[in-house]
Amino acid sequence: MNSKLLAAIAIAACVPLAAAAKGNAEAGKTKAETCKACHGEGGAKPIMNEYPILAGQHQDYIAAALTQYKSGKRKNATMNGFAAALKPDDIQDLAAFFASQPSPLKNKY
Amino acid sequence: MKKAAIAFSLSLVSGLALAQAPDAASKGDPVAGRLKATAICSGCHGVPGIRAAFPEVYNVPKLGGQNEGYLLSALKSYKAGDRFNQTMRAQASNLSDKEMADIAAYYAQGSAQTASK
Repeated sequence: MNSKLLAAIAIAACVPLAAAAKGNAEAGKTKAETCKACHGEGGAKPIMNEYPILAGQHQDYIAAALTQYKSGKRKNATMNGFAAALKPDDIQDLAAFFASQPSPLKNKY
Repeated sequence: MKKAAIAFSLSLVSGLALAQAPDAASKGDPVAGRLKATAICSGCHGVPGIRAAFPEVYNVPKLGGQNEGYLLSALKSYKAGDRFNQTMRAQASNLSDKEMADIAAYYAQGSAQTASK
């Protein structure tokens, strides 16, 4: 009984991880045209030092950031505006695209 | 006359450069930042597979090579409460402006994995 319950919990715990892996980088590329103006080609070369490099950043972190901008939990006038228009699928696609780009970030984790 | 004008404008330019130099230097000290970062950031950032656990689960962001200005504004936002994450809020609240600038300078410079290995 207890082991079945544990197994069920273990399986349930894996679901968010599987969900995090979704996102279509190809679709994200098209949707990222807007982002390019500030974050640069592939999110690798922002036009201002105050803007983050997105290329090669963790996919699930980018998705979490966009989700927080959309909900207003993370505050930034520009990003709140852009993220408000994104659907959950758009967020996953954008995150997949930026995470897959050649990155100037210097560490793997 | 023309030469004098050129010399004058050159001195203006170099004067400006000199005036800006100390400013740029006081932006953040990566050496001091490394000490701070090793003590308080490296337990999560730069470690394989470390995830933020609450309220959402995601990999903590890569910091090495990130833009200095962005890193500084991120720390300030956490301290101010414009960005919400309990761990980062707690850490940033204990940092002075100078310490935040130093840490930003350190991570902007290179890899977050230099800390302990």
